[in-house]
Amino acid sequence: MGRVLNAALGIVIALTLGALIMWAQGYDPLASYAALFQFSLGDPYALATTFKNAIPLVLTGLSAAIAFASGPVNLGQPGQLLMGALAATIGGLYLDLPPLAMIPTLALLAMAAGALWSGLAALLRQVFGMSEFIVTLMLNIIADYFTLWAITYPFKDAAAYSPMTPPIATSGWLPEFGDWNSGVLWMLAATALMWLLLTRTRPGYEWRIGGQNALFARLGGCPVDRNFVTVMLLTGALAGLAGGLLIMGGPHRFLRGLGANYAWDGVMIAIVANNSLPGVLLYGLFFAAIQTGALGMELITAVPSEIVMVLQGVLVLVIVASREALHQFADRLAARRQAQRRAKHASLVESAEQA
Amino acid sequence: MTAGGAISGECSQMPGAAREPHLAPPLIQMRGIVKVYPPNVLALDDVTVSFAGGEIHALVGENGAGKSTLMKVLYGLVHHDQGEIHYRGRAVRFRSAGEAIAAGIGMVHQEILLVNEYTVWENIVLGAEPVDRLGRIDKKRARSEVQAIIDRFHFALDPDAVVANISVAARQKVEILKLLYRNVSVLILDEPTAVLTPQEIPQLFAELRALRDEGHTILFISHRLEEVLELAERVTVLRKGRVVATLPTAQTTRCELAALMVGRKVLFSSRRTPQPPGDVIFAVEGLCYEDEHGRIRLQDIHLHVRAGELVGVAGVEGNGQLELVHVITGLLQPTAGRIRVAGVDLTQASILERRRYIAYVPQDRGRMGSSLAASVVENAIMTHHRLNPRLTHWRGLLLDWRRAHHFTQHLAQHFNVSMPGHSAPLRALSGGNQQKVILGRELLLECPFILLDQPTRGLDVGSIEYVHDQVLAMRRAGRSLLMISANLEEIFLLADRIVVLHRGGIVVDLPAEQATVEQVGRYMLEGKG
Repeated sequence: MGRVLNAALGIVIALTLGALIMWAQGYDPLASYAALFQFSLGDPYALATTFKNAIPLVLTGLSAAIAFASGPVNLGQPGQLLMGALAATIGGLYLDLPPLAMIPTLALLAMAAGALWSGLAALLRQVFGMSEFIVTLMLNIIADYFTLWAITYPFKDAAAYSPMTPPIATSGWLPEFGDWNSGVLWMLAATALMWLLLTRTRPGYEWRIGGQNALFARLGGCPVDRNFVTVMLLTGALAGLAGGLLIMGGPHRFLRGLGANYAWDGVMIAIVANNSLPGVLLYGLFFAAIQTGALGMELITAVPSEIVMVLQGVLVLVIVASREALHQFADRLAARRQAQRRAKHASLVESAEQA
Repeated sequence: MTAGGAISGECSQMPGAAREPHLAPPLIQMRGIVKVYPPNVLALDDVTVSFAGGEIHALVGENGAGKSTLMKVLYGLVHHDQGEIHYRGRAVRFRSAGEAIAAGIGMVHQEILLVNEYTVWENIVLGAEPVDRLGRIDKKRARSEVQAIIDRFHFALDPDAVVANISVAARQKVEILKLLYRNVSVLILDEPTAVLTPQEIPQLFAELRALRDEGHTILFISHRLEEVLELAERVTVLRKGRVVATLPTAQTTRCELAALMVGRKVLFSSRRTPQPPGDVIFAVEGLCYEDEHGRIRLQDIHLHVRAGELVGVAGVEGNGQLELVHVITGLLQPTAGRIRVAGVDLTQASILERRRYIAYVPQDRGRMGSSLAASVVENAIMTHHRLNPRLTHWRGLLLDWRRAHHFTQHLAQHFNVSMPGHSAPLRALSGGNQQKVILGRELLLECPFILLDQPTRGLDVGSIEYVHDQVLAMRRAGRSLLMISANLEEIFLLADRIVVLHRGGIVVDLPAEQATVEQVGRYMLEGKG
């Protein structure tokens, strides 16, 4: 209940502030918002696009949420996503299997590459005690330039003028059903699977307890070191899968700037959702909706799509800040009411005694 | 059978009616104080109490009875929601500790808050330093002022000693002197004897009496009733945020106070019944541990515990208790020696392997014994989820939450846990109920050996009694138990044998019947010599 109120409050305040900013600059806020939601939720095609755009946000969001809830501070989703995308691309360039085998193979390749990248950080942590927080951040930069090198030299499309690979084999393209890209199914399945893993299985239980209190988990007999490595590999694989699906579902080739800001948005979504996996799915869809709608809004109104960045920023601040504040406010109110009740009760007793 | 000289005496009478004495006109009067900690913890419920000038007034009550909160309200650290305070005939409401000190009311907390690297006099003047005309600290004057106070109150303390090198008792004196230096005339002491050894307490009491004779008023929070009766003139008993009684100590007894505190009769004598011990279950031989800096923390420890036997480990904190516990649980690897339980060598075993044989109740509930953010069920099934095959399916991969809830139900019934529900976070339970969940979880593991590290730390009298009952039941059931405790009374109450740890070594191993509190206290302080 509190969570819904929290989210509603954040969304209302963000939209109001956004409206104020647009109004102050001489735009019509109502028309702009109408366009924003028309182009993200207004018709079946817009809705399908929103869902498709949510895929990388939700998958990297799951990755961050699982890591943060279990302890490891994996902030390497951007790098893991790029490595996953590169692996899927290379697989798609050199393999040509029937689609039913090709798509899972490329997805597995992407996951393996993401896991390799996060596993590197886990290894450095286990062997040298290096903080995964720093290492994963650094590996992002390496992945960024490594993939740029890969698409500029060894895997460059000879016909292209800018760094990009040739398209992957069509057997590796994610099938579309009408307006709907089947990558959406991968996203929904991954969310459900991860949720089951975290809430219904022994490893999920141990990860969550370990994330809350590692010493307690260790004394209780949980293999916390092994769990750390597993969580790093799993969350790397999820981010890698996001990259793979990005290639297979979208441009079907690795273009410069492919990773965009997806993974950082994913980390942000995990924080806003307070590491809840259903929360990641819902916030991921909402963020995808306003990002998708912004492009349409820019087409028919004069409002620049960057206004969406303002909305996102305000949303994150309001939701994260109000989460605790709402609790404290409600608690303090309850305390004051109870104190007044006790005092009234006491004075009644006193006057009764005197009478 | 009674164990130890100091612990004796059955309670033979129930409390009499509360009597209200009339001493001097009150210096401090607190009327109708209500404090609710958000959201709904009623800490003080219409408390009215008065303190006379120049008296030593004790406040007793179980944990959570509101003693500390009441004193923090007076001291300006906690702000009351309703009620008023009169001090020296005027209504006051201190917004901070600084205002209270300026008005002459000071409080010494349980934790000692000093700068370890500074000398005694530097700590005392810190924040109220005398300065010369250029604004520099006048060290000479500061030191001589401190010396003057020390002499005036006959505190045995060297003003030039560095705080890191002096005993806990001496540090406590520094805390008191800090307040005296600021001309405080009302001193609030929050469980001052909790950190002291039995030998150090008389000295503190003598000093407090001297302060009283000089006209100071002393408000003294404690839950050690003998001390209260010895030191205070009047005692106020709090229970669940209300004043139950204010009595002159000359007209009350320990039993009466305990009954008022708990609301029922409490037994102080040992309920341990003699029973012949069985085979050696837990055996430690030649155990040594050096920390990463090469300091010896445990030195050649030999220790055996038999089935149906409880061995108590006494010692001043920091003499190797922590390391002994960690080496047994597997958090630390010993540098030498062996650990065997039920004939199995566990020296090199993983923590999980050890947990088949060792149940462990840690001293720190929130840090080692549970995850306060997790639900009651999630806390209850820890370790069981690995050792009890009924809680999982598919080679242990899938948790059976239905059975986990059944298990929690069983635990809650068996150990009398009261809670809002299985899915409530453990944080929502009271400290006593949290400890019951942990205790229940560990005792239900059915391990032959049970390691108890301060199992009643921070619990109220009722919960302590409950934990003791459960521990004794385990002893009757033939388990072998090792209990580390900072509370000698507890050790004498429960243990068959008492060992004393001093500087990482066992200095003495005595049957409890032959030991006295004074003797054990001496070993704790002085070791073998």
